[in-house]
Amino acid sequence: MSLANLSFFVNEAGTNMKRSAMMAFITISTISIALVMMGAFLLATMNLESFLQQMQSEALVTAYLKSGFAITDAKTLSLRLTSWEEVEDIEVVTPDQAARELFSSPDDQQLLKIGFGEGNNPLPTTLRIKIKSGSILESLLQKLKIEPMIDNISYGEDLFQQFHGMSQLLWLISLVIVILLGLASLFIVYNTVRLTLFMRREEIVIMKLVGATNWFVRGPFLVEGFIQGLVGSFLAIVVLFSAYRFMLAKLAELIPFFTANIGFEQLFKLSAKLLMMGIVLGISGSLLSLRDISKFSKSSPEGV
Amino acid sequence: MLPELANFCLQNSLFAINDYNCYNPTKVLNRLAKHTDNMIELQSVTRIFPNGVRALNNISLIINPGDFVFLVGPSGAGKSTFLRMLFREDTPTEGKIIVDGKDITLMPESRVPYLRRNLGIVLQDFQLLKRRTVAENVAFGLRVIGASAAEISNRVQEALEQVGLSHKRRMFPTELSGGEQQRVCIARAIVNNPLILITDEPTGNLDPMISQEIMQLFLEINSRGTTIIMATHNHNLVNKLRKRVVALVDGQIIKDELGGTYAYE
Repeated sequence: MSLANLSFFVNEAGTNMKRSAMMAFITISTISIALVMMGAFLLATMNLESFLQQMQSEALVTAYLKSGFAITDAKTLSLRLTSWEEVEDIEVVTPDQAARELFSSPDDQQLLKIGFGEGNNPLPTTLRIKIKSGSILESLLQKLKIEPMIDNISYGEDLFQQFHGMSQLLWLISLVIVILLGLASLFIVYNTVRLTLFMRREEIVIMKLVGATNWFVRGPFLVEGFIQGLVGSFLAIVVLFSAYRFMLAKLAELIPFFTANIGFEQLFKLSAKLLMMGIVLGISGSLLSLRDISKFSKSSPEGV
Repeated sequence: MLPELANFCLQNSLFAINDYNCYNPTKVLNRLAKHTDNMIELQSVTRIFPNGVRALNNISLIINPGDFVFLVGPSGAGKSTFLRMLFREDTPTEGKIIVDGKDITLMPESRVPYLRRNLGIVLQDFQLLKRRTVAENVAFGLRVIGASAAEISNRVQEALEQVGLSHKRRMFPTELSGGEQQRVCIARAIVNNPLILITDEPTGNLDPMISQEIMQLFLEINSRGTTIIMATHNHNLVNKLRKRVVALVDGQIIKDELGGTYAYE
């Protein structure tokens, strides 16, 4: 494509959008609304996932050692595990300490003396592992499971699995919504471009008569689709993040110590995704409408 | 005859190749020298529409470079179909059409725009873009081939001068008379220096005086070497000019006469 052609396409696209301002408005609004809805779902999912990750990183993993190992063995193991990238801190809990914690009330002290005396304590030596924030719980669990000294691991798995299931469900719902909204807005963009094509049929006929290729005829429409997608997604990003900020502020008022889970980098990535989706929607809607451009370019209906 | 015609055209700067970046007089000369004697050739062309109407029936015709051909006949005789086939708006059911040495019958759709860049087309209903100025309308033919702004400006000025409308270049079609609008269409058709000008009823919507002016313009264009094929019902003009007349009736050529008249009955 030559520079002259590109500048012609951009000029034509600008002029046509001015002339068919209502059509351009409908297309841009459709793209914007669809992207705001898609973005809202993606944001909700991202927040939940981030919350889940935060919970995981704050989780305390308890590893129960097999019986028959001395405290010194447990301490050696704890020293080794501390060097793992996922581990923040490890506390070795002896059976005695565990029993004291278990029967901490004065009434239980007697019970402790009778049932959990020296050599009588059935509780295992345990390691209380605090994981580093941002690290993946799953990978730590995998590593712990293959440690020969460790008998059992506990980390509140039921709660995690519930959250994990919710997160997956939300991702699935988001995906379905993104696809449905994408198709719906594609359909609207397709129809508005189709209407514009009918309105500009005469122009297309003349372009074809003087020797324009199909791609030359498509050029201004594609540029128009690109611009509408760009503007639509930009508006969507502004609306979405303004609403998000507003909601965060409201939540912070309602819930003490509330902090946003999503960082700037993730928001930037989401914006880039929405921008791409908008542009793809605009261009693909136009392309779909223009696939049979030859139909619009006959100088007159067939006749003798 | 061809080398003389080529020389004549070159001297009069007529057939500039439409690729402005490689304008080369030798190429133009070679192009015309390589030309067979026929600018347009129809070999046993038949066109049957899907509804069964036989618009053209086994037509064979040769048009030489520089010819001025009137295509006459009653409405429904097949004149428009004939012309539409020359710029590949329609294709024959049977037979072959050769334009400028190329068989356009089997030409892929993607090559059709390049064929049309060597043709000028003027239709009855002026087909001007109402929201564009006269100059912008004429420039359209150059824009689609990616000509530079300077090239467009020069060529549009030349074309408008040829049709006597350079002083109205900034006006819109709705501000012009019918005759002037048709002149703009002619300017747009000749701005690419086409080898062939195809025109369907160019004076159909114009009064006799204006029709004569338009016809004069076509004669001037033809005198510079452009082959013209014109479908018309204007018997006064046909009878007055005494050019080659091809008469079509019921999709068949019933007359092909040099210096002929309109009569075809």
